[in-house]
Amino acid sequence: MDKNSQEDWLDRQLRDAAPYIDDGGFTARVLQRLPRPRRQRESLRAVILLGITLFASALAYVLSDGGRFISVNVERLATLPMLWLFTLALGSGILVTVAGLFAAISKSRELQS
Amino acid sequence: MELTDADLVTRVLVDDDQHAFGELVRRHQSSVRGLLRQLTRADLALADDLAQEAFVRAYKNIRSFRGEARFSTWLYRIAYNCFREDARRRKELVGIDEAQLEAQQDPQTVDPGLRHDLMHALSLLPLHEKTAVLLCCQNGLSHDEAARVLDIPLGTVKTNVLRGREKLKRALAAWRPN
Repeated sequence: MDKNSQEDWLDRQLRDAAPYIDDGGFTARVLQRLPRPRRQRESLRAVILLGITLFASALAYVLSDGGRFISVNVERLATLPMLWLFTLALGSGILVTVAGLFAAISKSRELQS
Repeated sequence: MELTDADLVTRVLVDDDQHAFGELVRRHQSSVRGLLRQLTRADLALADDLAQEAFVRAYKNIRSFRGEARFSTWLYRIAYNCFREDARRRKELVGIDEAQLEAQQDPQTVDPGLRHDLMHALSLLPLHEKTAVLLCCQNGLSHDEAARVLDIPLGTVKTNVLRGREKLKRALAAWRPN
């Protein structure tokens, strides 16, 4: 018997000595141990955030005497000079754009990795 | 058409699809559990615990699978690391349980005597040779893939396989057909 066929014989015996192991509920046990899917976690997070936001809004409304501070501040804004208003709007716009860009870059890095 | 392992991994990555991961577990559970049973010297409960741990780790770290190797190779590496960590914790391996070994084997395909001698010969191999032989000769990994799984140089894998095979051949000389 040559060397190659001896090796084939040994490999075959090794492979045959490892019969297929029936699943027998193994996959189900693994799936039970997995963390909850991301989508479920994200929807739970959204519900919590929405709840906190609604609660905080209601609290702010009650504490601020029925939202009177909003009308007071709108009145104040209306009396500001046009240049100040323009600067405020421009500054806010830039701030939101930078935050959006930062979030987009972080997300694309996360997806690439 | 049956989905490939790569397709299923993509589904897990993109949709966090646990059914797709379940299919991966179903496909590979036998080989992973088989390998761990051999490494743990047929401690079936320990092997299955380690296999479960390996699959859970694979799921949690699936983003680190870059598709450079086969999914099964990546999985074997995780399983082998689980085994090593556990062995380090226990410091010693349990003795072989002949009755368990015989119970898990199918007597239809291989002569029970030959299988018994083969398992005994395997159990006598040093761990590094046994693991290399099991990965390459039983699970069909290339030397290169086994080197990745074991995180050792390619030359060491080749040497371990060669030495392990020689010892097995000597131990099974009486069974070999002429």
